[in-house]
Amino acid sequence: MKRYSRELTVGGALVLLMISLAIFAPNFFDTQPMISRLASQMPALILALGVALVIITRQIDVSIGSQFGMCAVIAGTAAAAGVPMPLAMLCALVAGALMGAANGWLVAGLGLPSIVVTLATMVIWQEVLRLWQKGLLLSLPDGVQWFGMSQGTGQAMVIGSTLLILVLMAWAMKNLSSGRRIYATGSDAEAARLAGLAPKATTFWVFLLMGVLAGVGAALNLVQSPQIQPNSGEGLELKAIAAAVVGGIAITGGRGTLWGVLLGMMLLANVNPALTHFHQPPYWEKAIQGLVILLAVAADGIRIKKQKHLK
Amino acid sequence: MKQTGSIKALLVKHEMILLWVIAVEVILFQVLGQNFLTAGNVSNIFRHSAEIGLLALVMTPVILTGGIDLSVGSLMGLCAVVFGMLVKVYGLDPLVAAGLTVLVGALGGGLNAGLVAGMGLRPLIVTLGTFSLFRGLAEALTHGSKSYSGFSDGFLALGNSDILGVPAQIWIVLVVGIVIWFLVHHTTYGRSLRAIGYGEEGARYAGLPVKRNISITYVMAGAVAGLAAVILVSRLGEARANAGMGYELLAITAVVLGGVSIFGGAGNVSGAVLGWIALAILNNGLTRISDYEILGEKVSSVARELSGLLTGLLLIAALALAICMKMLAAKRSAKQT
Amino acid sequence: MKYSILSISFALLALVSCKKSEDSGKLSVGFLLKSKGNQYFVTCEKGAQAAAKDLDIDLRVDGPINADPAKQNEIVENWITDGVDVIVASCENKDSLSTALRKAKQAGIKVVTYDADAQADARLYFANQATAQGIGEKLIDSAAELTGAEGEFAIVTGTLTSANLNEWIEVIKARQAEKYPNMKLVGIRPCDDQKDKAQQEATNLLSANPNLKAIIAVCSPGVPGSAEAVKQAGKKGSVKVVGLGLPSENRAYVKEGVTQAVILWSPEDLGYLAVQAGVALAKGELAEKDAKTFTAGKLGELQVEGDSIILGKPIAFDAKNIDDYDF
Repeated sequence: MKRYSRELTVGGALVLLMISLAIFAPNFFDTQPMISRLASQMPALILALGVALVIITRQIDVSIGSQFGMCAVIAGTAAAAGVPMPLAMLCALVAGALMGAANGWLVAGLGLPSIVVTLATMVIWQEVLRLWQKGLLLSLPDGVQWFGMSQGTGQAMVIGSTLLILVLMAWAMKNLSSGRRIYATGSDAEAARLAGLAPKATTFWVFLLMGVLAGVGAALNLVQSPQIQPNSGEGLELKAIAAAVVGGIAITGGRGTLWGVLLGMMLLANVNPALTHFHQPPYWEKAIQGLVILLAVAADGIRIKKQKHLK
Repeated sequence: MKQTGSIKALLVKHEMILLWVIAVEVILFQVLGQNFLTAGNVSNIFRHSAEIGLLALVMTPVILTGGIDLSVGSLMGLCAVVFGMLVKVYGLDPLVAAGLTVLVGALGGGLNAGLVAGMGLRPLIVTLGTFSLFRGLAEALTHGSKSYSGFSDGFLALGNSDILGVPAQIWIVLVVGIVIWFLVHHTTYGRSLRAIGYGEEGARYAGLPVKRNISITYVMAGAVAGLAAVILVSRLGEARANAGMGYELLAITAVVLGGVSIFGGAGNVSGAVLGWIALAILNNGLTRISDYEILGEKVSSVARELSGLLTGLLLIAALALAICMKMLAAKRSAKQT
Repeated sequence: MKYSILSISFALLALVSCKKSEDSGKLSVGFLLKSKGNQYFVTCEKGAQAAAKDLDIDLRVDGPINADPAKQNEIVENWITDGVDVIVASCENKDSLSTALRKAKQAGIKVVTYDADAQADARLYFANQATAQGIGEKLIDSAAELTGAEGEFAIVTGTLTSANLNEWIEVIKARQAEKYPNMKLVGIRPCDDQKDKAQQEATNLLSANPNLKAIIAVCSPGVPGSAEAVKQAGKKGSVKVVGLGLPSENRAYVKEGVTQAVILWSPEDLGYLAVQAGVALAKGELAEKDAKTFTAGKLGELQVEGDSIILGKPIAFDAKNIDDYDF
């Protein structure tokens, strides 16, 4: 029970938010807006799952928003040029993998600190996008939105495939040796090395996977509207990291479950809609987001202190 | 003893390289650009980057302890708004208001310090949280839309006039620079910062007041962010919630470029200052490149477009260079023994 | 090491000294954008380039690439030290850029603003795409016309800190209170200039206010974003979407009947006019104040009201005429 205390707290907060919405703004739960809302939150959730792994290995990646934008525009350009949809999506994944590998090589290969490396790549991809697209909104051909199917089916596919990825990743983290390797790298890289777990390689692959997931997120975002804007990833890095941290991914590495990330994302992503439904002005949004992150971080601090005292 | 000697030599070497970089930049932009080495432009270079310089100076002790502060840019936004309110809403004298603003900055830094040093949390995530919080508070205070302007000429002079031929705010940067340099290089406090950066656990066993000393670096960073906000407001003549956006990245770039190890423990203030100057010259110089046509493409407009991209690439290059030099030094010392 | 650096710099020196284009003695004009990565300003720049060609001047275009509002000031101050003859600017932070523009004016540079004005004393003329009054009123008027002047409406804006968007919103509020008492503003949400965020905000506005009759989007990404939300909610036609935006970004939604009206001036003409005005000032062809009309090249004769040169009425794009515009 105690092991999942964070998941329980965040889940509790989420339930409280939902109950108050049910009482004061029942419209929140109308089917269509609920599904549209959920579908539009899925790409950010995918990024959060990826960055959770990065944080578990004691690294950080703030370039994911820029990667997301790059992947979206690359896939969009391909689709607009007549490349069939599955192939265009593959382009997004490959582009993501390459960008992720670049981060991974700089961090794991050269041993550079991930915060500075990814700050730099964040700026670089953002600038490349700007020079390339000049802010132009890219129109996508028919048949891209909702994979060429009906809105309901398309949304179901977006939500379904995200949940499938979540379940697969959560299962892999628990049951596969590579999952344990990721935890081991984060909790004690030296010990992991001595145990023959190749922490450097693990770190590289985690960054690469992060890039692929940025591509997946971008692809799932692409199908939700008939146009794509180059700045679509701006600010996503912060959302994803916040969701991971709030969801209980220990910032000291090596701890946390992906189910917690799901709860964290659902809590944070619904603060803003809740403000709208309570008819509150929007200017507190950022401050609330910061406060929730700090509370989650502080809760971690208290937990660590308590553990030390017990020892 | 020999060890520290070689590291010192290494650092000096890094600064020599930076000096060369600056020299090449100056020659390049003077040749390629228009009106680069004119009194007016040189003064512009320093006037426009004074805030970044201040942030880079106070970021140095933070990074020396192995920490980082991503919240300084947002804190500038909050402090700018607070300053604007104090002067325009409460009618305080700008000098008093500036003092209070620095205090607010110090309090913001204190929040970081409490969470990082007090609770032992990772500075990266803590300051990412306060990055959102401070900017959010600035927006909430002004409802996002309000801004403050119409400051007195006397106050605007701080950001826009010269004293002895040097932009007024550079004197402030100079004073802060000397204080930080003295603290870092000539006090036991400064030595302790490096010790903490090398190994926090070891420093604690050695009886150093680790928590207190780390706290001071964040509080200083906050206070100087407040000061930088006041200078920015006086240069622009307007206080708005979006002040200082993205400045944390530029400050970190300057410090890392200056050879301060992002892992903590090594680096010095003069390097950070040179890193700041190199960056400032780059940003200014790229906008001054005159028109050349190469293959029908106007080079000047391309150069102007590149400053963001180059900042990113430079950051990675500086890091890679530092790592390479570390490896070389390790090989050399292995040979010597 | 030393030698390699020296030789590189000499090589560059040699390369460059033979390529430098001559200082032609042409008038030099600085054209300042609010941000470089924005299609609206890219289109303005096109017009400015066209004017530069017509007038045979030396045009330099610059603007911030990130969100740093101080960057505009730096660019202007650099132009002042460069001794440009004319500065044509669109202001992100009105008051702060005015500080720099005043300096330019003092240095004898002719200053014209376009798109987003500075303080009146910081420039000579404002190339006005339509007054804030005109834009705000046009938006609320068309929303009122579409909804029968009653019911709830909401606004999707760019960022909360954007000065001219806030000005338009104020006009909308005032006009609604005065002329359309049966309409009710139920929310203003920022989309951070992101289309996807606008879509999420509009989805929430729709479900939080089931009686919503219209959405007014005052920033260009807000229009297609709101339209997509209305379409997904199946409220096409029952919730009207009006806004400021480029025809190219809204064509599909307007034709489908999701978006009823898109309002904009031609940004290309705006950039063209602003540069024309600046150059005319520098050549003494346009009086520094109290001019009544101004002939702006291919645009012909335009009215001057006070210190605003009026580009003309904003164009309202609808399903019938949207194909006639290609920007």
